[in-house]
Amino acid sequence: MIEQTSQTPPERTGGALEGITVIELCGARGHFIGKLMGDMGARVIKIEPLGGAMERQIAPFMHDDPHPDRSLFFWAHNTSKESLEINIEAPEGQEVIKKLTATADVLLEDFEPGYLPSIGLSYEDLSYGNERLIMTSLTAFGQDGPYRDYKSTDLVALAMGGIMHSCGYDDLPGSPPIRPSGDHGNKIASHYGLMGTLAALFNRHFSGKGQYIDASVHEACNSTTEHALPTYLYEGENVFRQTGRHHSTTPTPKTLCKTADGRYLIVFQLFNNLNSWLSLVGWMAEAGMAEDLQEEKYKDMARGGSRGMRAATDTTDSDHAFEVVRRFIASQTSEDIYRGAQRLKFPWGQVRSPEENLFDPHFAEDRQMFADIPHPEIGEGVSIKYVGRPYRFTESPWDAFRAPLVGEHTKSILSNDIGYTEEDLNALATNGIISY
Amino acid sequence: MPEPQTLLRKGALEGVRVIDFSWIVAGPQCTRILGDFGADVIKIENDANMDYIRASRPVGGSRSPNRSPLFTTLNRNKRSLTLNVMHPRGMELIKDLIKKSDVIVENFSSRVLEKWGLGYEEQKKINPKIIYCSMSGFGHSGRDRDFVTWGPTAQAISGLTYMSGLPGEESAGWGFSYMDHTGGFYGTIAIMMALIHRNKTGKGQHLDLSQVESGIGLTGTAILDYTVNNRPFRRDEMPPGNRAPERGIAPHNTYPCKGEDRWCVIAVTTEDEWGNFVKAVGNPSWTTEERFESMRSRFENQDSLDELIAQWTINHTPHEVFEILQGAGVPAGAVQTPMERAEKDPQLKHRNFIAEIPHEELGKAKVESIPMRMSETPWKLERPSPLLGEHSAEIYTELLDVSPEELGTLYEEGIA
Repeated sequence: MIEQTSQTPPERTGGALEGITVIELCGARGHFIGKLMGDMGARVIKIEPLGGAMERQIAPFMHDDPHPDRSLFFWAHNTSKESLEINIEAPEGQEVIKKLTATADVLLEDFEPGYLPSIGLSYEDLSYGNERLIMTSLTAFGQDGPYRDYKSTDLVALAMGGIMHSCGYDDLPGSPPIRPSGDHGNKIASHYGLMGTLAALFNRHFSGKGQYIDASVHEACNSTTEHALPTYLYEGENVFRQTGRHHSTTPTPKTLCKTADGRYLIVFQLFNNLNSWLSLVGWMAEAGMAEDLQEEKYKDMARGGSRGMRAATDTTDSDHAFEVVRRFIASQTSEDIYRGAQRLKFPWGQVRSPEENLFDPHFAEDRQMFADIPHPEIGEGVSIKYVGRPYRFTESPWDAFRAPLVGEHTKSILSNDIGYTEEDLNALATNGIISY
Repeated sequence: MPEPQTLLRKGALEGVRVIDFSWIVAGPQCTRILGDFGADVIKIENDANMDYIRASRPVGGSRSPNRSPLFTTLNRNKRSLTLNVMHPRGMELIKDLIKKSDVIVENFSSRVLEKWGLGYEEQKKINPKIIYCSMSGFGHSGRDRDFVTWGPTAQAISGLTYMSGLPGEESAGWGFSYMDHTGGFYGTIAIMMALIHRNKTGKGQHLDLSQVESGIGLTGTAILDYTVNNRPFRRDEMPPGNRAPERGIAPHNTYPCKGEDRWCVIAVTTEDEWGNFVKAVGNPSWTTEERFESMRSRFENQDSLDELIAQWTINHTPHEVFEILQGAGVPAGAVQTPMERAEKDPQLKHRNFIAEIPHEELGKAKVESIPMRMSETPWKLERPSPLLGEHSAEIYTELLDVSPEELGTLYEEGIA
């Protein structure tokens, strides 16, 4: 068991959102918004039901111990938040939400449409007396429309949003469209929910007024499929999925190439322009593997640049060139091809598993992409390495602290922010409103 | 920045001016959202160096730079200025524009602006409050800063490509440049955070984004599983295909449907939903078997469970499965095609997801709208993607005080 220690969150270091208070009523759909805001200095109070958020039950767990304070999924999505564990189904719990939002800047929520209004916590209820409040509702399909009450998960969102139609295999007969793992439907929607919230915060600086944002995962995913909709809207054609590369309306050469050490690289932009083609063929020739690619006809293809490449993709010559390049790649290690190609300015990339970046000195050492975050509840002086900042601010830096334990800040928030006395807290605990 | 006095603001970012040197997808995705929120985005190109996407699949096979479908959706709500920064007068004009702007965005490789003599230190001398957002592949520091990425490169290196696929098979990866979209989002997010910070402190700053790092940021759980449990994501049973081992729930998968290569998804997350599912598929006898009696046993026996469910789904279209199961309160969906999303999806129609506006060469520009409704500062499709140089004259004369005589010279000498 982890020892429960009631903690005051660490001092912040001047992040861009310092001074902004966010009340978060979110599960898996929207919890990433609060994390991204908290990591940039906002004070984020996460409201959790008694026993803790459902996401605390999602694996993997620290040392595979399924404890609500040990879910690594929860940790990854809930850094830089305080936890208030309270029953908002009860009037006393609703009163607490009203008191907190009376002075808060932002309320984030991802309940089903209509739920918060049904317990007296609509935007009208909450902004009464605090017209500066910004409330962002992130739902599966939006606050209105025929699908409003339909149920969704990340898998459903990626299917309905058209993303899965573009992802999968063209050379594995009978294989299904693939959902890229990692809760990306929720993340796409959270990115948009965050963008709307930030725009509203900027606007409020000038207008003095907050606003209500109705954001939908369905629309967010549908607007994140690159060529798929523009191609249909203007050409009337559906793109189809292809292994490890872009969707298309006509087959394109496979860009996933296997290396001598059994790894893969993404290899593309072969015929970008004449210079890059000549340097590629020169590199292959040094290894004695250029075969016939020094012939004039390939230079003509390369001269055509991107148009030439596209025009050439259906031809035997282009297929042959790809095959020769594939043989060259198969004779070398993944590291040699990746570094060699990048030295020649080809945008080729190793297909890495996420943890492999922990050992890439560019990210791990030079850019300090990973952050050691203290976990005193596990042991004195214990820190754990997390994925760090997704952007580098030079004036108002990213700075995260660990996710809260269940209800870790219930007492401090209710006493310090709301002014409840010891007696008030005992009454709430007796009535099953808080666990304390 | 002009301090807007009115309470009736047209857009959330009204009054913010953005100098947009960006091109292809990631940068334009970033500035598109700034423009959608009401910023004045000035896209800078010239005839010799135009946004490459202008040439992408032009409608009607034309060589016009104004007819690309993808360009159209990525560049609405922006103005186009043609200007040659390599010419001394062009550089002077850019510096004047920097004085009158709030944000500079570019997604070139990491040394381009420095080579122009327009790195952040120089920008700061011209306008101390400027916010400079650079969106390169590997960032502006570090030993590999000169490496280059496109969306697929960043997806591969960050780990996202590897995380998508069936166990034991090659990576399925992403079928499009997800990290161009998402790299763009992180640019927009960072810029708005920096604007909020500047409102408070008066300070500008350099936002140094790396497309790969923004991708790594999306792999947090996998990184922790390694640093805490020493368990690599690269292992036999991974990636998980369409299943949900992290939640231990089943059924959770894609299922074949009536029609050629048609699929639905079903995700039963609770015992209640399982009960609803069993009723909705007509209480077949296999659902009462002991091996399917609990979430845990269904998860453990999901190979056979999935086969049995597929025998039901194969007799229905994806949308039939979707409606039958959603009607019974079970999370399910159709793997929708672009045609279905553009023409049939009643929810997207209800929410006016596809927006239209007249376009000089295309007749109508059709674009994906911003996926949210804002009560005080609603999104508007103010203008279609700009024709190359469409707004040059107004920007030169109204904003940069170029006389009509000089404007002629700028065009003649290839500066504009």
